[in-house]
Parts: sequence; C-alpha cells; structure tokens
Amino acid sequence: MIYYAIEVMAPLLLAGLGGLFAELAGVLNIALEGMMLAGAFAAIVTASLTGSILAGMLGGLLAGLLLAYLFYFVGIRMRANIFIVGLAINLLAAGSIPFLSSAMYGTKGVLRLPNVPRMPGLFVGMETGFPLIDQIFFGHSFGVYLTVPAVLLAGLVLQRTPFGLRLRSTGKNPETLRSVGLNPDHYRRAALLISGMGAGLAGSLLALRLGVYLPNVSAGRGWIALVTIYLGYKRPVGVLIAALCFALAEGVSVAAQGVLQIPGTILLSLPYVLTVLAMIVYSAMRRVGPSDA
Amino acid sequence: MLTTRVSRIAISLVLSALFFTLLTLAGCAQAEDDGLGRPYSIAVFVPGVVEGSPTYEMLVEGVRRAVDEAESATVRVVEGGFNQAEWAGGITSLAATGSYDLIVSSNPSLPEIANEVSQSFPDQRFLILDGYWEGNPSLRTVMFNQREQAYLNGYFAGLVTTGGMPNSNEARQVGLLAGQEYPMMNQVIRPAFIEGAQAVDPSIELDFRVLGNWFDAGLAADLANSMLDRGVDVILSIAGGGNQGVIATARDRNAYVLWFDSSGFHHGPGVVIGSSLVKLDQAAYERTLQAIDGSLEFGVGEVLGVADGYVTFDDQDPNYIEFVPENVRAQHAELMQRLVDEPMEFDIPGAN
Repeated sequence: MIYYAIEVMAPLLLAGLGGLFAELAGVLNIALEGMMLAGAFAAIVTASLTGSILAGMLGGLLAGLLLAYLFYFVGIRMRANIFIVGLAINLLAAGSIPFLSSAMYGTKGVLRLPNVPRMPGLFVGMETGFPLIDQIFFGHSFGVYLTVPAVLLAGLVLQRTPFGLRLRSTGKNPETLRSVGLNPDHYRRAALLISGMGAGLAGSLLALRLGVYLPNVSAGRGWIALVTIYLGYKRPVGVLIAALCFALAEGVSVAAQGVLQIPGTILLSLPYVLTVLAMIVYSAMRRVGPSDA
Repeated sequence: MLTTRVSRIAISLVLSALFFTLLTLAGCAQAEDDGLGRPYSIAVFVPGVVEGSPTYEMLVEGVRRAVDEAESATVRVVEGGFNQAEWAGGITSLAATGSYDLIVSSNPSLPEIANEVSQSFPDQRFLILDGYWEGNPSLRTVMFNQREQAYLNGYFAGLVTTGGMPNSNEARQVGLLAGQEYPMMNQVIRPAFIEGAQAVDPSIELDFRVLGNWFDAGLAADLANSMLDRGVDVILSIAGGGNQGVIATARDRNAYVLWFDSSGFHHGPGVVIGSSLVKLDQAAYERTLQAIDGSLEFGVGEVLGVADGYVTFDDQDPNYIEFVPENVRAQHAELMQRLVDEPMEFDIPGAN
C-alpha cells in the first residue's frame, strides 16, 4: 500500500509545490486542474511523436507553462478577476483538448497513440530486507524520483534565495518591493510560470504512467493539490506531508475495498472526508496558535 | 484610465469570442442532418457523446445503416452530454418540435424518461435500446440479456484463473471492477459473473471493487494493483475510461483483462484476452428499419440474448485466436452452445 501511495502522491506533490509558489506570491492558482489536463495531453502527444518519456514530460511541462502565461497575461497584466481567469483556463483546457484531439487524431475519447514508451521504473528488484523501506525507496516509476529533489529545491529557493524572499514579500506586502524599486508583477509572473510547470509535469506523470490520454484524466487532482498547499501550512515539507496523507488515505480506501464488507462507494469517499476533517483541524489550529500560513 | 478600460473590454471580447469559437467547433460534430427532406424523420438522442463510446457508436451506426438502406428517411444525431439531469430536457425538446417520427436512444435510464415525455406528447414514438419498459404504446424497448453476457465473461475468467493462460496463478481469484454500483451491476452482472466462474470451479472467489466514477484511470490502476496483490489474475473491467488504468496495471504485472459490451482486444493485445459483445448496432439497424416500414410493434419490451444472436463472445478476433489456448477457446465455445440450447432466465431489475 505504501508503494502505491507514493506513486499517487507524486503528481499531487508536484502540482502542490508549483501552486505553493503562486500562493506565496499572492495568486491563488485555481487553474491547476486545467494545467494538469493540458500537461497530460501534451505529454502523450509529445511522447508519441518523439518516442521519449523525457520529451513527453517536457511537453507536459511546456503545456502547463503556456497556460500559466495566459493566466498571468489576463489575470495579472490585464488585471482581470483572478478567479474568473482561473476558471476560464480550466474550461479552456477541458473544452479545447477534445477539439484538438478530434482534429489531430479523430477522437475525443481515449487517446492511445503509437510509439509512447512505458514509464521506466528505477531501482527495480533492489531489497534491503525491510519491506517498508523497500516500498518507499525502490522500484518506483521514473517521475516519482523527481519529487524529492523538487521539495528540497522549492524549500531552498523559497527560504534561502533573494528571489524566494522577494517572491514571498510579493504575497505579504508588495509595497515593500515597490519601495526598493522592484516590480511585484515580475515575481507573480515567475511564481505562476513555476506553478504551471509543476502542474504540467504532474499531468504528464499521470498520463505517461497509463500510456494513454483520456478525458478528465486529472480527475480532480489539481483541486486536491490546491488543498495540500493549505494543509501543508504553505511550506514545501508541509505540502509533501499533506500530499502523502491524501495518497495514504486513498491507498487505505483502495485496500479496504478488498477486505471490508462495506460498500466500495462509501470507502472511496474516505480521502475526501479526511481532507475535509484536516481542513477543519487546520482552521482550528490557525485560530489557537500563531502561524505564518 | 479610459485606455485601460477599453483594453479590458477588448480582451474580454476576444476571450469570449475564443470560447464561443471553441464551443462552436466542438459542437460541429454534435449534429448532423442529411437534409434530403425524406418523409420518415428520426432523431438519435445520445445520452453522452458518440466518440469514444463504443455503445453509442454502434447505436448511431445501426440507425444510419437503416436510414441509408431505406432511402426514405432522415436522421439527426443529437448529443445530450454527460449530465444525466439534462437528458429529460433534451428528449422533451426533441419531442416538442414534432419534427420526428421516431426518437431513438440507448441507456437503461431512458425508458423512464421516454415514458414521462410520452405523457405530454402521446403521438411521439420512441425506440430505446439497452433499456426495458412494457405497456406504453408509444415506446418500444430492446434489452440485452446481461446475465448471460456476464456469465460468459465469468466462465471465461474461471477458465483463465484455473490455469488456462500462461500467467495464471495458483490462487482461485477473479476480479470485477465496476465504475459505479447500480441495480444491474449489483443484482445481475456481479452475481452472474461469479456464477459463471464457479461453474468452472466452485472454489473460485470474486474480488469486487468500485471506482466511483467512469473516468479516473489512475485510481482504477491502483484498484487493479490491489486486486492483483490479493491473487487476482484476471479482471473484468466495466469502468469506462477507467478501463485504461486496469490495462496499464495488467500489462505491467502480466495479468489479464476482460472487456464488456464491445470488442476491446485492440486496447491491449495479449492483455485484453476476452470480450463479450452485444450487437446493439444490429438491433438498432433492424428495429429502425422496421419502424420505417411500419412493422415495428410499440408497447413491447423485448429481451435478446445468446440464443437470439445478439449477445455473444468475440471469438473471431485475431488476438483471441493468437493469445488464448485452443482448449480454452473450445471450452468456451461449448458454453456458448449450451446457452443457445438453454437460455438463462433474466430478471430485469426495476422492470415496470
């Protein structure tokens, strides 16, 4: 179960970390879902055209980047309502991908393209004698191993670099930046582009793991990623823990279906019930204790 | 200030135009009319979208074939989208136009909707496939014997898990993944599937899982992994787009997948090793042709099964012949013959 939970966690974590940058810059990126979807579609198309997993992931990343720039241009540069722009981008992704898919490949449904390689696993067959350790560290798909460096990198950039400090200042007090001659919009743009890349990459992991693109393949994971930002107290490690908790809850609900005599439909709601409970606890803890979240 | 305002309005207009263009382009495939003004007018209401849905592709193909052959009819295909709450409105709108002699559709929930709409438009005739309703003179339904269909899959799964395939394991476990739980699934398909498997070996057990929707292939992959961890080596997947997740897992772990309603071998040669079929296209074609020539009886709910030739197992696909051993194919062919000789009774859940 731990093994699969980590596989489930990886895309949530990448999208959540990207969204964290936008959130800290003062822009709630509610378009993560649409960016993941676009990333998934672009990844399969690119992987099929090139025969390369890496190129597929790059394609997904660029698709997220493109939508993120659109988000920035309309929402920040043109000062449109950020929530409407976010929703519009989600709708744009959901509406335009079937059209593109139909125009390019003649189907709006499942897109199974030739030449898409299988996502390779790393450290397959390695054992330490401790099953828990083995499940956590070995045999995962290639993309999963990107996530740990991503957490470290995000923490480093946000906490230890001038760029990170200015980005956080953009969210907390943009006037301070302006007073020293810096433009907060530049940091908002950078943050949104990072969030787009994270979401696009997350979408590519979802699709490349399956080897196909299908409508709604993100299945609400962009929204869950958004929740992990808050559950994680807007810190990279917190996002990691929140994403892992959600993935474990999903793993429990999956495994429980095979063991418990409880209708599967009820068990499937477990991750979402836990998410709501966690949000309530988070809200309560914010009221009783100081936090920079 | 004014310039900024004007540019915001301009951007809004451009974005609106973009969205409307996309929607219009996407909608281009939604309606089609041969426009020849033929006397018998048919509307096909698709409760979903045609592309990517083998069932609805068969429905549209069957009706079109009948119209082409009759040369005295027109057909218009209307996609009702995935929101079930909007289907009644869509059917009502079509009936309210008074332009169609026959509205054809396919979904277990459609007979009830058509029955209600017919109270307001009693002259409107409906042909509903994959649904059942008796006694409404405006309504003709065609149901397929899904007990036999699930039994065919179950029996094949039983042959697989008892050692019929190279990757069969020692455990006597078969899996069934359903997109959702619904009466036909819980009361017919699930019991008939395990009944079929246990006809091969009574010790076979069923691992039944629910996806909770019809699209989350990632979660479907995790559910399939969990099933395989418990010893399952063959999974009947009835989960829409989620089937793709089951195939991905089965491919990675050398397990097998069975398909339902249409031929699925091309989705995963060597992984998808069995497909039960309903000949919905054939039924749509024949009943539409009868409606056009006036010989179709309304007020009747008919059930078609293996003996009628409308429920079958795809034993002609080259992948089936290549990947399934001859003795397994022979045993399954014997079962098909038994069902032709002795059809299974089928209690339709919620039949009126």
